[in-house]
Amino acid sequence: MKNNLAYIIVFALIVVFVSEMIGFQSIPIGNVSIGVLPLVFAIVITMIFGMKFFRKGFWKKVYSEGNINFSSKYLIFIMLPLMARYGADVAPNIREIISIGWVFIIQELGNLGTVLLGLPIAILIGLRREAIGATLGIGREGELAYISEKYTLDSDEGRGVISLYVIGTLFGAIFFSVFAPILLSFGFDIEALAMASGVGSGSMMSAASATLVASNPDMESTILAFASASQLLTSFLGTFTMIFLAAPLQQVMYKFMVRRDAS
Amino acid sequence: MSIKNQYVKYGLVLLLSVGMILFTQEIKLLKDPTSTPVTMMTLYGLLCLWTFSMIGIFISHLMKNVRVTFIREFPILGWVSITSLILCLVSDFFVEAIQAVDFLSITTPILTFAGISVANRLKDLRKTSWKIGIVAIFVFSGTYIGSALVAQLGLFLSGN
Repeated sequence: MKNNLAYIIVFALIVVFVSEMIGFQSIPIGNVSIGVLPLVFAIVITMIFGMKFFRKGFWKKVYSEGNINFSSKYLIFIMLPLMARYGADVAPNIREIISIGWVFIIQELGNLGTVLLGLPIAILIGLRREAIGATLGIGREGELAYISEKYTLDSDEGRGVISLYVIGTLFGAIFFSVFAPILLSFGFDIEALAMASGVGSGSMMSAASATLVASNPDMESTILAFASASQLLTSFLGTFTMIFLAAPLQQVMYKFMVRRDAS
Repeated sequence: MSIKNQYVKYGLVLLLSVGMILFTQEIKLLKDPTSTPVTMMTLYGLLCLWTFSMIGIFISHLMKNVRVTFIREFPILGWVSITSLILCLVSDFFVEAIQAVDFLSITTPILTFAGISVANRLKDLRKTSWKIGIVAIFVFSGTYIGSALVAQLGLFLSGN
């Protein structure tokens, strides 16, 4: 097994090398320009090579069950240095952050946007109970735990949250790295977008804040400080927002919309 | 697995992580010589990141014995951020050292492993309906736009 681990490390080094050599690419779409970071290339390359189609012969050694399990089991630990880095970004800006602390707290309410925007769309395209699981939040471990406790995962609600979890795991980081600069071009302040980046998932937050940094390198310190302070707050308050605000709001909206739909 | 072996394993995984960061920063320099240089401070910075992460893991294990569910279930990621924040408030040296580590160089290796880790989940995608795919776009946009709007309003009101 140790020997196999060497394959994945060498492969990871090559992927990093290739992704960094492609470098930051700016793709203009109309009058919006979307920045694509090396991290997006890295995740796309590793996902493509991870497809069953490729996993034969030599690739089977790279993408062995042991190596895939290693990556998923220890991903959280591989991420820890990033979390430690955020401390160094928040510390020099701590006064500023505390002085507008209330803004950080109320913007947590923005996380209700998953219900406000997601639920009507879900009902509109014909989803019912699955929509409860799929729109409660961004479908990370918190929502997964809540839904499985309340409805079990083998229910419509459960399937909704699992599907969202899978999609978020696969495409969440890519989505946010593209979406953050689009909002920037709509005239949002970079501070506001940095705060909003603390969505509660480590990789999604890194992707969102990383593209913001790439588009405004002089603001790096502020962007990272705001994003990580908000992320930290989400890990404190996220559960409460979900249980006491998102879930009740969702129930009310669901009943209202589905009843109207049926009549 | 004994506690000691477990920590050796965490230590090695973190070593892999900071090693990959250093490698990425070197490649970035190769591509663009004006990017963040690798200096002695960078190495101290990586050492700080490694140490703070280990302390965070240790604290999170200690907290597993606390009666309060909320504290017991607080994620390791959060403990590491808090540890680092406190130590960085204590000494500016930590801040300077850690900031000598290029931020974007930290993200590329993480997403590389994230991509590998989902290899077995790709097939689950077939079980997922396209409808949830559409909903996902609105759910992710919703939380981001929602927070950005409230933050924008808040910053405006506080006169920033």
